Amino acid sequence: MHWFPKAATGAASKKSGSDLFVLTSTDGKFHLVGRTGRIEKSVEAHKGAVLAGRWSYDGTALVTAGEDGRVKIWARSGMLRSTLTQNSTPVYGVAWGPDSDQILFTNGKQLVIKSLQANAKPTMWKGHEGIILVVDWNPVNNLILSGAEDCRYKVWDTYGRPLYSSPAHDYPVTSVAWTPDGEMFVVGSFNTLRLCDKAGWSYALEKPNTGSLFKLSWSSDGTQVAGACGNGQVVFANIIERRLEWNNFEATVVSSKQIHVKNVMNEALEKLDFRDRIIKISLSFGHLVVATSSQCYIYSSRNWNTPMIFDLKEGNVTLIQQAEKHFLLIDSNGVYVYSYDGRLVCTPRYQGLRADVLNSQTVSISNDTVAIRDKADEKVIYVFDAQNGKQIGDGKPITHKLEVLEIALDQCGPSSERRLAIVDKNTDLYLTSVRVFGTERKTLKLGTMIQSLAWNDGTNMLAALNDGKFTVWYYPNAVYLDRDLLPRTVFEKDASEFGKNPQLLQFLGNHVVIRRHEGSIVGMTISPYPAILHSYVLSARWNDAVRLCRFVKDEILWACLAAMSAYAKELNTAEIAYAAIKEADKVQFIINIKDIPVKEARNAEMALLCGSPQDAEAILLQAGLIFRAIMLNIQLYNWDRALELAVKHKTHVDTALGYRHKYLDKFDKKETSKKFLQFQEGIEIDWEKIEAKIQMEYQKERERPAMSTAGTQSAGPRR
Amino acid sequence: MADETLARAGLHFDELNKIRVLEPEISQQTGELKEECKDFVDKIGDFQTIVGTFIEVVDNVAKEVEKEKMKAIGSRNLLKSITKQREAQQQQLQALITERKMQQERLRIQYEALLKEESEQNEFIEQFILQK
Repeated sequence: MHWFPKAATGAASKKSGSDLFVLTSTDGKFHLVGRTGRIEKSVEAHKGAVLAGRWSYDGTALVTAGEDGRVKIWARSGMLRSTLTQNSTPVYGVAWGPDSDQILFTNGKQLVIKSLQANAKPTMWKGHEGIILVVDWNPVNNLILSGAEDCRYKVWDTYGRPLYSSPAHDYPVTSVAWTPDGEMFVVGSFNTLRLCDKAGWSYALEKPNTGSLFKLSWSSDGTQVAGACGNGQVVFANIIERRLEWNNFEATVVSSKQIHVKNVMNEALEKLDFRDRIIKISLSFGHLVVATSSQCYIYSSRNWNTPMIFDLKEGNVTLIQQAEKHFLLIDSNGVYVYSYDGRLVCTPRYQGLRADVLNSQTVSISNDTVAIRDKADEKVIYVFDAQNGKQIGDGKPITHKLEVLEIALDQCGPSSERRLAIVDKNTDLYLTSVRVFGTERKTLKLGTMIQSLAWNDGTNMLAALNDGKFTVWYYPNAVYLDRDLLPRTVFEKDASEFGKNPQLLQFLGNHVVIRRHEGSIVGMTISPYPAILHSYVLSARWNDAVRLCRFVKDEILWACLAAMSAYAKELNTAEIAYAAIKEADKVQFIINIKDIPVKEARNAEMALLCGSPQDAEAILLQAGLIFRAIMLNIQLYNWDRALELAVKHKTHVDTALGYRHKYLDKFDKKETSKKFLQFQEGIEIDWEKIEAKIQMEYQKERERPAMSTAGTQSAGPRR
Repeated sequence: MADETLARAGLHFDELNKIRVLEPEISQQTGELKEECKDFVDKIGDFQTIVGTFIEVVDNVAKEVEKEKMKAIGSRNLLKSITKQREAQQQQLQALITERKMQQERLRIQYEALLKEESEQNEFIEQFILQK
């Protein structure tokens, strides 16, 4: 009989923000212990030993699991709130869900997720061949980790789908722990400590002579891990050899306070020493940003000797993301944008921001915009101006139809054309514009089954891995212009050589870096021409662009140019490009547009070409070209709208009626629309008069100032 | 005659003509016995010392044997445990080797990818030059 508490077997987990921790013991009690080590409260919790205890993320509740098979929820004060479940076998491990409203616990060989709501049905699945000993659930990436007596560790998603299963070890897995940012985890076993990527493959293996590692715990910055050993010792481990590559530079964290930067081009090696422990480093856009526990260092790739240094408010940086002009720094308190000379640009914030759970998939930065996905409602994306930290537009965030998994902003081009790529829960990829003025935000679907995506750093090309294919959208904007054109601007390649579940790491210039599922890094190049084309178009050198396309003779490139020139309303280039991709109808249409004397009307026709009649109509009405708007609707067989416009502006009612009449005659049909019947009564259709009126309209257009000749009727191809 | 009388009275004369109460023979025998007894006692004493040393020696030997025995058992156990230790060590090293192998495999794949990329780039450059 054990009457005295045995501390070592219990799991101690510290509650954030408070100086209280819980100690569970084999005599069925748990103890709340203050910072000084004084036991503040002991509570009789279970029959038999209490095997695990954990605080919820918000610190308001505590869950314990015992040998008696019960899982109990306790208030912070130690009062019993509820008994979640009763099982026949001991519960060895428990973990809280990301929102602290679900509990994951083990039940023999099964894993069970149960909501705190009493009537919710639990999710249950068989996890291992042996009894499951430990579980962990990461709040950032929402993945579940389990270790069992069958000597394996496995990674799951929250639906119980297996993402990774390790080969069998020599001894049962006795502990697992995620890093706070969810990028890696450690696995402890007898004399074994293993560091793994979130995809499951292992970075490193250490064989300390310590006996079994019963419990592992990360420091809040995710650089150090502590383990309780079977021989009564505590081991501390540091992560080293973290390596980053950017163009010709390679940065390696060689020890906890030193970084080596190697320039591969000339083999020059720079050794950077720091006073404090390195927490995060990021290398991109010609700058190396290093966050230590107290300061932030910014090195330029041109000068490694004199970094810009500024102090950090709190030495717990969880994420650094870089853009060309500035970078984003996230610690547990908030989100900050700093320029590369170390100046704080702004601090974007919104109601209910939880900076501690942000990761690289839910935050994105570009030169002028910061996008953050909300944690409370995963459909919502907040967009901020990177210069002043204010929310863009009317302060309303972007709301997607479904839960958003990943967001990414494109990196170049003018800020008014900033695009945001969204991957939602169905792994569909959508493209939306960030800055909208007055008009409705258009979100268009680009692809499906997206596993991973990346924008190019120098041009607005988007690469993604989807469903066994590697896809590059050379000009994603084409989706706004012409849905038919989009598939022709896409470069696709079979990705089966990368195995299952590859990850896209970087897309620099024409170089793509992909990480295979077992961890090896594979590079790939794409054609350099689209990037050149982008740069020509960006500087409006259309002749050079056309010359380039002629030189390369690639259909994809011509399609890109067609889309780009159509978007920029560069008619001559568009005509050539459409001709090159054998779109005769569109060439015809463009020739027609070129003949239109009025600029607004041309714009409207371009909008039509891009397949958005609403926009076209809006442009026409705004310019006061009511006749054209009516004709537009007539040509689209949008009779009701045409008549409505005619009646509203009290012109050309007879024109609308006349065309309607003609149309019905052609198909030998009777008029059924009540509206038309109503107006038909009062108006006589006289074709001569109508023709005269139409001629008059064109005459009027021609007479508008600064307009050139010719006013042929614009009949566009129907689409 | 006189001797006999004296002898009857219990008096005797020895060779040195000293008067004695005991018969000279018996006296001689007694003396001899005494000598013998003394001898015997001496011998017994010797024996005791010899046996004492012997016991001591045997004891020492026993202790020595015991010690050696323990040593033997210890080393035998050690031997056993060393094989086990070796096994464990081997296992550990094996695990490390597998780990390294995996790492190597990863690097090999990366290297191959880089080679492929290089050849692609070269091809591209050649093509580019040819086109001009």
